[in-house]
Amino acid sequence: MNVMTTGTGPGRAPRATLTACTLLLLAQPLAPAFAGPNEQAKRMYERIAGIPPSAAELTQMTNAICGGPCAAGAAGAAPGSAGLLQAATVATGASSFYNVTLKNFSMPWTNRSATVFAPLNDYVATVIGMVRDNVAFNTALSADILYTSNASGLPAPSAANNNHYATAEQNGVDLMSTLVKGTQSGTYGTPGAAVAGLITTRGAASAFFINGTNRAMFRFTMINQFCNDMPTLMDTTRPSDRIRQDVARSPGGDSRIFLNNCVGCHSGMDPMVQAFAYYNFDATAGQMVYTPGQVQPKYLINATNFPFGFVTPDDSWQNRWRAGPNTVLGWSGGLPGSGNGAQSLGQELASSATFAQCQVSKVFQAVCFRAPVSSTDLATVSSITSSFTSGGYNLKQVFQQSAAACPGS
Amino acid sequence: MHSRLSNAMDKILARRALQVCAAAAMLAVLAACSSSGGAPTTVNQQTTTVTTQQYTGPPAQNADIQAFQVNLWQNIIPSNRCGGCHHQGGQSPMFARSDDVNQAYQAALPLVSLTDPSQSTLVLKVGGGHNCWVADPSACAATMLVWIQNWLGAGASSTTSVVLTAPPVQAAGGGKQFPADPTVGNPSYQASVYPLLTKFCSGCHNPSSASPQQPYFADPNNIDAAYVAAQPKIDLAQPNQSRFYERLANEFHHCWPTASSNGAPDCPGSAAAMLAQITAFANGIPITPIDPTLVVSNAVSLTQGTIAAGGARFEGSLIATYMFETGQGSTAYDTSGVTPEADLTLSGNVSWVGGWGLMFGMGSAAQASTSASAKLANMIQESGEYSIEAWAAPADVAQTAAWIVSYSGSNTTRNMTLGQAADQYEGFTRSGVTNTGGTPPLVTTTTNGAAQAALQHVVLTYDPVNGQKLYVNGVFTGDMDPSKGGSLANWDSTFALVLGNETSGQRQWQGVIKMVAIYNTALNQAQITQNFNAGVGQKYYLLFGVSTLSGVNQSYIMFTASQYDNYSYLFYNPTFISLDPNATIPANLAVAGMRIGVNGLLAPGGQSFATLNATLGGSSYSAANGQQLSRLGTVIPVSLGAANDLFFLSFDQFGSNSHTFVDPPGIPTPPVPDNTPVPDYGIATYERINNTLARLTGVPITDQVVQTLYMNSQQAMPATPLISAFVSSAQTAISGLANGYCGEMMASSSLRDAFFGTGLDASLTAGASGFFGASGSPQRAIVINGLSNAIGSTAQPQMASAVAAEVDALITRVPQINSAATVTQATVAACTASLASAAVTLQ
Repeated sequence: MNVMTTGTGPGRAPRATLTACTLLLLAQPLAPAFAGPNEQAKRMYERIAGIPPSAAELTQMTNAICGGPCAAGAAGAAPGSAGLLQAATVATGASSFYNVTLKNFSMPWTNRSATVFAPLNDYVATVIGMVRDNVAFNTALSADILYTSNASGLPAPSAANNNHYATAEQNGVDLMSTLVKGTQSGTYGTPGAAVAGLITTRGAASAFFINGTNRAMFRFTMINQFCNDMPTLMDTTRPSDRIRQDVARSPGGDSRIFLNNCVGCHSGMDPMVQAFAYYNFDATAGQMVYTPGQVQPKYLINATNFPFGFVTPDDSWQNRWRAGPNTVLGWSGGLPGSGNGAQSLGQELASSATFAQCQVSKVFQAVCFRAPVSSTDLATVSSITSSFTSGGYNLKQVFQQSAAACPGS
Repeated sequence: MHSRLSNAMDKILARRALQVCAAAAMLAVLAACSSSGGAPTTVNQQTTTVTTQQYTGPPAQNADIQAFQVNLWQNIIPSNRCGGCHHQGGQSPMFARSDDVNQAYQAALPLVSLTDPSQSTLVLKVGGGHNCWVADPSACAATMLVWIQNWLGAGASSTTSVVLTAPPVQAAGGGKQFPADPTVGNPSYQASVYPLLTKFCSGCHNPSSASPQQPYFADPNNIDAAYVAAQPKIDLAQPNQSRFYERLANEFHHCWPTASSNGAPDCPGSAAAMLAQITAFANGIPITPIDPTLVVSNAVSLTQGTIAAGGARFEGSLIATYMFETGQGSTAYDTSGVTPEADLTLSGNVSWVGGWGLMFGMGSAAQASTSASAKLANMIQESGEYSIEAWAAPADVAQTAAWIVSYSGSNTTRNMTLGQAADQYEGFTRSGVTNTGGTPPLVTTTTNGAAQAALQHVVLTYDPVNGQKLYVNGVFTGDMDPSKGGSLANWDSTFALVLGNETSGQRQWQGVIKMVAIYNTALNQAQITQNFNAGVGQKYYLLFGVSTLSGVNQSYIMFTASQYDNYSYLFYNPTFISLDPNATIPANLAVAGMRIGVNGLLAPGGQSFATLNATLGGSSYSAANGQQLSRLGTVIPVSLGAANDLFFLSFDQFGSNSHTFVDPPGIPTPPVPDNTPVPDYGIATYERINNTLARLTGVPITDQVVQTLYMNSQQAMPATPLISAFVSSAQTAISGLANGYCGEMMASSSLRDAFFGTGLDASLTAGASGFFGASGSPQRAIVINGLSNAIGSTAQPQMASAVAAEVDALITRVPQINSAATVTQATVAACTASLASAAVTLQ
């Protein structure tokens, strides 16, 4: 086989050969995990920033780990040590932490298939901006906040399309240096009462307020921000009075399905989804619609499935999970557990213990490449969660702490 | 109070008509008017096939007797019906005498209840089995009721009223209560059901599972939480109604192998084992009185309720109807009263459902004989119009070519068919403008999603002007028949009426049918709305006595209730009412937190009235209609069956009586550590690889060549860092991208020099063999050192060393494969192999 004849351009090597070569390298027995400061620094940087450190960054980090220039053969620091934490700040100062890691970290939260292969959008940009600016992440589901890029050559941000963000990504814009904090009300003209942080970004609305019954917004918020899908939240003992008419009580003629399954989710979900009663995403106009005082028709569809079901009159919501088995989700005692609209519901959700635990678990897994299941990891996550909630919900710090917790040993 | 009520019962003093023609919201449910302004019940047409003697006696003396003659009398005088005994000179009363319709009328009057035809002696007698002319007395009763209603409806105006009857006074009974402690009992929960659950169900129903699924009744680490979660799945009164058992026995849900199954899942064996443990656990629990701290109403069973008789259906032009009241056997009777009765023979996987209905599974059908079915063709061809009305619950919205009601001969020949095609309904009518199969059909639009897997009222009408029209839940779908204006003259009277399938058995529909009616007119919108509003199935008004709680004489919480399906009851429209028209309601009489109980225990779910909070009396209450507490409804699971289940209500507050309801506790289930070692490394994901290559080579990610490559191959690269998810196609994509970056880097003198220095610049097109020479040459060192440094000779010296050795070998190998290889080509190959290797992608 003449491998050189298959090249497709200047300097192109044939893939078959390359693959064989790389497999050779992969097949080579790997050295045992290193524990030295160089290895710890490189790993922490790669885990946080996604790319290898420059020589200068590596030195900066090893100096932090060793408390000065490392002696030859110096051992690495113990997981969680101050030196490692300081070294991690070098990595969180890298632009690729924002352009790559945080983007990939949050992109799956913005679409129904949880894919990372989607264009940059305002939801992701806002998460990135909040982390960069150390904005308290427990406001993520309620604040009037929006990050846009001030890079040149971009279309203006619009409530009706994603061009601003997609172009920024296409142009390789550095998000770390160009993101600018703003508001949804100011940029999009969304009424102040309608703004609910990431929930009302165009990215979330286009994915979860489109079509359907708006239950998707709740379910995907549970998946992405509570780390629980409905099967792990269902509770069949809650009162069923707020379950809407469109839920058949005897699907296919078998009410056991309703009594043992449907009711488990809908009895808790429907009273909270009522917070979104005025929202819709108009696919034709390409933007979120908010109709204060007027319940969206999607809340009233299929009313004859069970005429004696709940008819949504407004956007008042109740958290029925404040009683019964789901009290373990850790709801805030400082909130009433009910309200009107998405903003107060967002506060309710983001003030829970589960929300905080979920953020930390997600970051730990993203940085350490493993779910926190060992006793050591569980203790680490618990400790980081405590400092997260008591320290202003600083998500950047969680990245640093997580990286310092698994620097290799 | 209760005893007085009981006496009143005996003397029928406690009865009071609830005039259902009064305007009120609840009248939509109660309405049963048969006169103008409500629900006229019109006269059935006589079929030409009815067989009666020629009447030669005195003519009917007035319109009512005429109506009696046409609608009832001529149906009961045949010798195989009432006329066999109650004829002239025969057994008294002689209401079926054939010699004088006027005397028969006089004899029949005492046997008919004008206010509640369903309670007529004639209906009750045949319903009780007295000389019923078919095998099922309920079918005779239904038919007799139709005849009587037709008579009454056709005669003088009358207003049907519902008479609320006080039920017997009975206390909510006791039941088996779950012990508070799962380790207590003989056997305890811990020693009976729990071991099976933790052994066979903890793979999912366990918070520590890899794929956790609520409820966590199989949590092996927390029996208290598991016990709470398990209780709704166990029926202590009726162990074989327990969900744990049903899931295994009937739904084949994760059965496990047993000793006799040779390793294969054994559902009967698994179910038997589960049932044995539940039964043992339940048997060890004594029946205890109802929780004395509860604030409860009196108890009542479904059949002790007042029958919400009749409804307000339009039944004129009815030619066949199926109410499915029989509940057993292999025949579903046509109770239209129009002979010959086109009774349906059930075959295959068809079963009766509670609350009247048939469930059609795979391989099922209910079919009438062709001879009896012929009445449909005969009568519909006479009018040129028809309607098929059905209350049906599709099992799913995926089934297609599924016939709900069909009058046809084969897959391709038919007179009329109502079918389901996924979430669409469709109608086929053979006419002068269609083929013999009734195509093109009328199909509802997909955007409306007319068909739902829920009980729906579906009507297909046909008239020559409009062709077919479909109505779902009382609403015209708006779809226009593509083949209107035809004649039905080419209908074939040798076809058969069949439900749930085609006569060929090849158009299976799955689901529940609760009622079917066929008319030889096209029902209009008002008639369809009327029948939709009338609902389906037998409804009862259940009166839960609360006089002792409210202090109001003869006061009740009245629910409208019915058996919803085999597994639940429907309760809706709770209304506070006193049967004493002079009762006064105390001021500020509060009711809150109402829950429905069954057989001494509160139903585990479906408590839609637990959040009720109302104040009784004032302008909200009227003596005629009471006070509606909620427009909501709910479903409550069947326990012992409709004949035995005894319901009661409990309240958090009723007046001065209160009880604090305690929700099941939230028991934390901390994750159980899994110290199984996991890989400490991961693979860089797609965008990390792209940016890593950009950093190492200096080529920007916006470079046109690499950006195009990246966009085309990014989804083939790893999306997750899991090493276990890494596949060869990902490596191929990474190599391709690295190749692009290396090529672009080599093509740029500045980037090339930054990476390798200037040592290659003068020899890019030179032969690789000659330039690089043997191992250890300074030319080789240019490439080897450049790549080793990129890999990270400081951070990972061992890896860099391994790369150096591999690159050296590759530089030797390339010219051996192709002696014409240039320095650039060999360098790009070495660069690609290095940068796409684990030395770079492993993080």
